[in-house]
Amino acid sequence: MTVATVDVSTGSGSIRISLGGEIDLENAATVEQEILGVVSDGFTAVSVDLTNLTYMDSIGIRILFDLASRLQESDMVLELIAPRDSPARQLLDISGFGALATLSPPSSQPPSVAG
Amino acid sequence: MSLPDEPGNASTAGDQLRRIDAVTDAALAHLNVEDLLLELLERVQALLEVDTAAVLLLDAAAEYLVATAARGIEAEVRQGVRIPVGKGFAGRIAVEKKPVILKRVDHTTVLNPILQERGIRSLLGVPLLSRAGILGVLHVGTLGARRFTEEDVRLLEIVADRVAFATESRRAEVERTAATVLQRSLLPARLPTVPGLEMTARYVPAELGGVGGDWYDVFGTPSGGLCIVIGDVVGRGFEAAAVMGRLRSAVRAHALYEDDPAEVVGRLSHQVQRFDGHRMVATVQVAMFEPRLARLRVASAGHLAPVLVIPGQPAAVVEVANGPPVGVRNGPRYPVTTVDVPPGALLCFYTDGLVERRGSALDVGVKRLCGALVAGPVESVCASVMAQLIGGEAPGDDVALLVMRRQASAGNGPLELVMPALPGSLKTIRDAMRGWLLAVGAGPRVVVDLLLAVGEACTNVVEHAYRRGGGMVEVYLELQLPDVVATVRDTGRWRPPRGGNRGRGTVFMRKCASDVHIDHGPGGTTVVIRRSLAEAEAR
Repeated sequence: MTVATVDVSTGSGSIRISLGGEIDLENAATVEQEILGVVSDGFTAVSVDLTNLTYMDSIGIRILFDLASRLQESDMVLELIAPRDSPARQLLDISGFGALATLSPPSSQPPSVAG
Repeated sequence: MSLPDEPGNASTAGDQLRRIDAVTDAALAHLNVEDLLLELLERVQALLEVDTAAVLLLDAAAEYLVATAARGIEAEVRQGVRIPVGKGFAGRIAVEKKPVILKRVDHTTVLNPILQERGIRSLLGVPLLSRAGILGVLHVGTLGARRFTEEDVRLLEIVADRVAFATESRRAEVERTAATVLQRSLLPARLPTVPGLEMTARYVPAELGGVGGDWYDVFGTPSGGLCIVIGDVVGRGFEAAAVMGRLRSAVRAHALYEDDPAEVVGRLSHQVQRFDGHRMVATVQVAMFEPRLARLRVASAGHLAPVLVIPGQPAAVVEVANGPPVGVRNGPRYPVTTVDVPPGALLCFYTDGLVERRGSALDVGVKRLCGALVAGPVESVCASVMAQLIGGEAPGDDVALLVMRRQASAGNGPLELVMPALPGSLKTIRDAMRGWLLAVGAGPRVVVDLLLAVGEACTNVVEHAYRRGGGMVEVYLELQLPDVVATVRDTGRWRPPRGGNRGRGTVFMRKCASDVHIDHGPGGTTVVIRRSLAEAEAR
């Protein structure tokens, strides 16, 4: 069974969601619901930490894209945290996330325009 | 609660016998407890010529007597009357454990307002006693003034005896059934499929003294390893099974966040000491396989060490550093023992019911176990261990046995998987790939690339096959130096990827591989993914 952990910590006006484990077709809907369940209009900044994610594919990227678009509509900033050598970062870099979210740490090369 | 030695003067011996017959009637035995109580109360009403009869049973906390069956004062049961032990008429009988006759019923002698409202003048009550102690109270009452005789008391005591026996056996049966069902539901219905590792288990509940709290569990960890848990809760019956359920969930929860078995056991021990209610103690062993299955890390809280059989060598007990059972005290950190598990080796986890025999030392049983183990197919090894150690005897304690064997060395041979095209297969495929890729010397970047590329191809198969209602996905990995070649095949009709997401999947697949070739044949679709073993050379 594919297992992901979703840990949430909140500060004043900000929320940080740490994802761990693996996300694939089996648990994507559950993970997405958990994330959407904690993000509300009350926050001005949302960061998602992908450091401890050991597997994610295009389904996980789709969840992040949808989240980023939702937040953009409400003028909220999305920050995605993933170390440069992590599996998630590899995906973020080839997905062209630069326009929708802040990558942390920043990419070493200028982000490509399209995914 | 013996039969009267001499019949009282109030009635003839024949009369006495008739009355006793009425309440010890063998025909009543087939009734369930609820019906039996009502039937007995009705007969008591007629025999003793009383207006009311009621049974109150002690609750689980032994604090209150709860009205359970009644004749003539049915409202007592319907309103769920509770009498504190030690207070009022019934409460006094429960404490004194002997018959009480009340000649005057008012608020100073009786707590239950229903008895007063009903207009009861006289009351006789006897305790319901079992070997274990007080079970409850049986009482009868009359609306007119009545002087209860010694003979009335004796007859009511015989009825009480019967009620106590029926109630106790019923309770024991319910508890035994519930404990067995609970324990069964908490053991894995099916062990996980782990490529490269075959495993099987046996579980036999104790036949004497009620089921215990033995359990085992095997599940994949988020980091691609495998977690094996075996434990034994001290105690018997429903309570032990319930505690086992809590421990099982707790271990699974801690293993989500912790890759260190000692940390998992440590947190468990800490948590157990906060379990409310009865103090409980359990032995627990948590063993974690790393993804390529070559090494196992074991942390043990007072549990028997596993036995390892390396091909060509005799079975040997693994030297595991043991800590105290969980729930005993908060000690220092639990020690971790690392065990090398070479290809073809067999591991045996078990609980003490397998090796412990009355009148013989524990290590005698462990030696017999070692003698019964060989590095062979797990099913036949398990059958042989059970035959040699249990044989035909009725186990006096639960027996749990979990046997697993690493596949004999595949060298750098190909990895071949055929799995149902279901979302749940994706993780199994990834875990098998991780193990195989590490074994062929792939670096982390190569592993990530291939997991992703093959993952996207498999997800595509699953999504399509899933909508069609079934099918298989085949994954084949082979070394063609300097490349790894992965082939993903399904037998369905190719559907072009839908929407932006599946399109993105194909883009990822191509970006992670040196070359991707998709072939849509009449018999199905074949995706061939080629990736160099050199770390930086994906695209």
